[in-house]
Amino acid sequence: MPRRSGSMFWRIFRQLLRASRGRLTVALIALTSGAAISSALLNINLDAEQKLRHEFRTLGANVVVAPPSAGSDAALADASIIDRIAGAGASQLVAAAPYLYVAANVGTQPVILAGTWFDQVAKMNSWWKVDGAWVTSRDDSSHCLVGQAAARQFGLAPGSHIDLRAGERSVSLTVNGIITAGGDEDSQIITSLDVAQNLAAAEGSILGRIRGMIFWTIMLILILTTLGVLASMAALAMERSRDVGLMKALGGSVQRIMRLFLAEAAALGVVGGTIGFAIGVLLARWIGGRVFGVAISPRLAVFPATIILAVGVALLGALPLRLLGRVRPAEILRGE
Amino acid sequence: MTPLVQVENLEKRFDAVRALADVSFEVEAGEWIAIIGPSGSGKTTLINILGGLDHPTAGRVVVDGMEIGQLSERELTRYRSDKIGFVFQQFHLVPYLTALENVMLAQYFHSITDEKEAAEALRRVGLAERLEHLPAQLSGGEQQRVAIARALINHPKLILADEPTGNLDEENEATILKLLHELHSAGHTILVVTHSQAIGNLADRRVELEHGRLARITLPVR
Repeated sequence: MPRRSGSMFWRIFRQLLRASRGRLTVALIALTSGAAISSALLNINLDAEQKLRHEFRTLGANVVVAPPSAGSDAALADASIIDRIAGAGASQLVAAAPYLYVAANVGTQPVILAGTWFDQVAKMNSWWKVDGAWVTSRDDSSHCLVGQAAARQFGLAPGSHIDLRAGERSVSLTVNGIITAGGDEDSQIITSLDVAQNLAAAEGSILGRIRGMIFWTIMLILILTTLGVLASMAALAMERSRDVGLMKALGGSVQRIMRLFLAEAAALGVVGGTIGFAIGVLLARWIGGRVFGVAISPRLAVFPATIILAVGVALLGALPLRLLGRVRPAEILRGE
Repeated sequence: MTPLVQVENLEKRFDAVRALADVSFEVEAGEWIAIIGPSGSGKTTLINILGGLDHPTAGRVVVDGMEIGQLSERELTRYRSDKIGFVFQQFHLVPYLTALENVMLAQYFHSITDEKEAAEALRRVGLAERLEHLPAQLSGGEQQRVAIARALINHPKLILADEPTGNLDEENEATILKLLHELHSAGHTILVVTHSQAIGNLADRRVELEHGRLARITLPVR
């Protein structure tokens, strides 16, 4: 009974994989490594910022409203949301305050800066112990409150001056009070929302640069991966030139023969991408724990992105096999 | 009746080297022709052109109404799968495919595969027990018989055999020649390249080449 040629295609495909498993394993290792690092970086890029924002504040208010995504603009609070919160059920509302967290520096040492409304902070956190005085004006842009741990770290007391810097922007503030909150705030500096927004804009540009760095790192890794795959495929192409010459002599069209090789490369990409994604998730967790102190959660969107990148790299790396389409069967069969 | 193969004033050059010059002959359907000559006489070049593996530099080669020199690469590919069955001196089997799959490969490039028909072709050449063997697991004679089964599977108009017994011992040579003889008796048109006078004498006619030129066409001595 004649069979569809599709089944013969997969029959040859399987034998081809089996016959070349040594070279293909080398290519697969290259692809898996590239996919793993790319997947880890993509996961970190997507998850780290949001994860840090959630970690910043999990206690201290009944309701926390956070921006939904991790874009650079998302770090800036939308004033209209604050108005809507204040408007909804205003009669039961004791206090409401926006919080904008910014990673800043005092000298060379990092510190978390929390921008908020000073007048609401006292109402929401009446149990805080304050050495010195609260800042009472909501938009006071020249004073700040400092958590007791941060004060100890930077040697601050009420009346001290502190210079805060984020990227190329800086601000000089006077410490109004040292707070003991019994929570994360003890290691933070609390400023007005305006001061935090001003510094956050600089932080946004830093985040943009970090993302740019991650993008180019991924590109570089993909180029190196492509070179690794190219090397394996070039050796494979040398081994297969006689077979391709023979297939052409038997009446095999270039398209039909190349379809085999491209399917082989695509399969390598899918397998390498899948394994690489799994390794990348573990790698991202490890890097997250070591660098940020938080576990990076895997993002599902990274999986198809990793597969697409790995398949793309595999097809690009299969260029030497594609060039086999040019072999002249008479020359190959003569042994030239 | 129009001859199956017409070769007229065929010339083939490789840069400055003239491999064939002014070669003309015809082959009727069902004939067994031996192309004879010493090494470097242009035998393989001639068979490569007849098989659509190479283009002539000048002259005409017409096989079953198709002029080889006028065909595009795509048409040549089709021509090879439809009209020609190749048997090479080095067997040229795909090493990672079984005997059965090597025969089915020719079917695959021609149209659709038929495993039963491929197995039957191997049975006809005495390899019923070797269907799932890889070429490395077969003797030279067995590999050549796989190549013959592969050459026949698409019912080609012309079987081109380039020194088909050149790499075989006497016993296997006799087996292959017997197979070619049976194919000829069944009505196949066969062109065999050989430098052996003995094999040449098995053919209906002998086309003798010397230094790329047609020296003579002779009848076999039996």
